[in-house]
Amino acid sequence: MMMLRRLSSALWFCAPFVVLLVLWAVFIPYFDVNPRLFPHLSSVIQAGIEGIKDGTLIQHISASLLRVAVGTVLALLIAIPLGIAMGVSPIISSFLTPLFRFFSVLAGIAWIPIATLWFGYGFGAITFVIFNAVFFIVTYNTLLGVSTIPLQVRNAAASLGAGRWAMLTEVLLPGALPNIVTGIRTGLGFAWRGLIAAEMIATNLGLGYMLFVARDFYRTEVIVLGMIVIGVLWLLLDRLVLAPIERATIERWGMVQRA
Amino acid sequence: MKDLTIRNLSKTYFDPYAGTNVTAVHDVSLKVEQGEFVCIVGPSGCGKTTILNMIAGFIPHTGGEILVGGRPVKGPGPDRGVVFQSFALFPWRTVLENVAFGPKMRGVRKVERERIAHEYLALAKLTEAAGRYPAELSGGMQQRVGVVRALANEPDVLLMDEPFASVDAQTRMTLQEELTRIWQEKRPTVIFITHDVQEAVFLANRVVALSKGRVLDDIAVDLPRPRSWDALNDDARFKELSGRVLQLVRSA
Repeated sequence: MMMLRRLSSALWFCAPFVVLLVLWAVFIPYFDVNPRLFPHLSSVIQAGIEGIKDGTLIQHISASLLRVAVGTVLALLIAIPLGIAMGVSPIISSFLTPLFRFFSVLAGIAWIPIATLWFGYGFGAITFVIFNAVFFIVTYNTLLGVSTIPLQVRNAAASLGAGRWAMLTEVLLPGALPNIVTGIRTGLGFAWRGLIAAEMIATNLGLGYMLFVARDFYRTEVIVLGMIVIGVLWLLLDRLVLAPIERATIERWGMVQRA
Repeated sequence: MKDLTIRNLSKTYFDPYAGTNVTAVHDVSLKVEQGEFVCIVGPSGCGKTTILNMIAGFIPHTGGEILVGGRPVKGPGPDRGVVFQSFALFPWRTVLENVAFGPKMRGVRKVERERIAHEYLALAKLTEAAGRYPAELSGGMQQRVGVVRALANEPDVLLMDEPFASVDAQTRMTLQEELTRIWQEKRPTVIFITHDVQEAVFLANRVVALSKGRVLDDIAVDLPRPRSWDALNDDARFKELSGRVLQLVRSA
């Protein structure tokens, strides 16, 4: 029953895309659109198959995913402890909050010019942009998460004998987790957009680069293929990795309502 | 289980709005014997929750002393278990893990602490709920978990801060009866805060009436146990004691 509902909701999710593809397959040839302006569906599929066969598409995808993974993991490693420290110390939090407000606005592609000066073109600069997109949002959300833990729950843990370490691992971290997960989802969304922009400027590998170079040769089928891959990868990441984590933890705990 | 001694306890804090010092608790002395069930009753703002928070060590006291088994209180600790009005369960832990939390903090290994937790869950008729999360339980069941979570850590003193104030009336009566049953079985030293005079008389060996941060009177409750609402509703002695406490609290 559960499986059936899952399946039908997945099918319903795909339905508008199928309609879009059908419209594309019918109308672009029908109006005889110049392929330099917009490609036929068949040539995009062809480009996809070629990209997989000669390995270039996979190379671009894995380069992009690796940057996102490294940038995100580094950001989380620093952001979560910092956010918790800010959450428990009013002094640290009130001192750093204005800075975080400022840099949240800046976070993203505004960093690309200086990042390329610091790290050169390529992996370092782009990972740095990802790092920034995730870091500030997750830190701020962690801080927010810690401050939403009811005082009584912390008091309960203390009166059951929790010391500093147990308070951190048993109360503050799980208590802030709903906000941390929200922060990661939002941050990764920004990071993914920032990634494509950064790759157009600061590298010679990755999905953004693939799009940008294809433009020089009027290869609209590669551009559109890249756009589709970017969108699909994000949906997969969000639906198959992030959403299930949320379901298995904080929804079960009744700490957020199902969206 | 140990006794609790409060001597000349007071709490004064600075009220930034009024711009003056406010005395919430004024020179309160109280001795609770080992295994005794004492209710502190009084209207809101009488300082009863402040007293409990000071005993628990959540807030510092500004005068006098608090001794548990002769040792002065400095901050929260597992020798004083607390049951909160808001339940304060850990939403990210199952019922079993919530109850096993205290033993876990003491370093009791997993098999043993789960055995302890199951034993206490059975005491509160919660065996079925062991694997569920707090959000999946009714308020009454959540507070049963709150009570046995505190008890499972075997504190010297059990502090209860209006624990049944946020559940419905029928559930409250059931919980009160269960609490008296559990208390008779385990005989913990209990300090129970409430504004409900009948609740105080129903539960306690002694009722301490409080008003404006001062102790008004200390009344022994000699009703027989086990106690049930069916038996006590029309009991003359119960009515007499409740009436006395109510008059005390209202006249102040």
